[in-house]
Amino acid sequence: MIDLPATMRVFERGWLSSNNILFTGSGPTALIDSGYLIHADQTLALVEHALEGRPLERLINTHLHSDHCGGNAALQARYGCHTSIPVAEADKVRAWDEEALSYKATGQQCQRFGFDATLAPGDTLVLGGLSWQALGAPGHDPHSLIFYCASEGILISADALWQNGFGVIFPELAGESGFAETRATLELIATLDARLVIPGHGAPFTDVKAALGRAFSRVDFLQADPKRNAENAIKVMLKFLLLERQQFALATLPAMFEQNPVIEGARRRYLDLSAADLATWAVRSLVRAGAAREVDGLLLNHEM
Amino acid sequence: MNPEIQTPVPSPCISLCEMAPDTGLCRGCLRTIDEIIGWSSAGDDYKRAVWAEIRRREADMEFK
Repeated sequence: MIDLPATMRVFERGWLSSNNILFTGSGPTALIDSGYLIHADQTLALVEHALEGRPLERLINTHLHSDHCGGNAALQARYGCHTSIPVAEADKVRAWDEEALSYKATGQQCQRFGFDATLAPGDTLVLGGLSWQALGAPGHDPHSLIFYCASEGILISADALWQNGFGVIFPELAGESGFAETRATLELIATLDARLVIPGHGAPFTDVKAALGRAFSRVDFLQADPKRNAENAIKVMLKFLLLERQQFALATLPAMFEQNPVIEGARRRYLDLSAADLATWAVRSLVRAGAAREVDGLLLNHEM
Repeated sequence: MNPEIQTPVPSPCISLCEMAPDTGLCRGCLRTIDEIIGWSSAGDDYKRAVWAEIRRREADMEFK
């Protein structure tokens, strides 16, 4: 049983949609992160039901990956909610630069949305009657923010810290630095007195020290051989696309891998395999893990 | 292992998140909106009760 303040709700779904955190109380209503595009109708239904007739007044994104902001456009259309995004993303969103925003690179979908304000590390905001500080959390995403409420000891950690690990370290796949930033972000989290972490994916958890220990071990493991980060990223990205589409013809996968800039970049940089061999390897890995099935030339999503 | 006997109780979400207007249930996990909203802060007893409901709804659907 997770002990949340009465003004907070967490909508936890599977891995395609990030968690959504809804704030109510006497101040403005607010939502942190909006889930994936194809779940937007349900996201609206959850928000509307939980708000019991009140409008959603504010929308905030920890970072702009498609599983965290894919419901932004639908929420804005419904509520006209005041929207805040990380300051470093402002120009890209204003111009809707899909390449810089990662949607083209990952093959993921996101509907165009706008914003009204930006947030930077160090900013303070009041949500659900509680004071939250925005902290910079580079690593998984260079511009990600996380939010800490000192009075309650609650950290909204996005994809910087999960109960088991953290999100794919994308910058390293493109040959940029990410391991050092991931470790620095974990060190920053370790200095907070967090009793409860609401991660971007998975259930809220209270064994914060143990989770940090696992995350530090994981970044050490990945950094010791960056090929591991690349292999993990490719498996995660294939599973994400499989969750979205539910099935692929196996024969189409090599071309899909070649046309996906993140997968192709990681392959060229770190992996000594052709796109076809990499696709075969990734399929075998997902099947072995119980995350997919091969049936009659198709790769089918499978839930464990 | 059946999800409902595990601790912590795993989420029934399978990322097919869409409410069916005729049943009021999510097409993917067969939960109501209240059950989805309540899940993350609920205890294991509640979650096992929801799993039991899901099993009942699955059986119902097979008969229809």
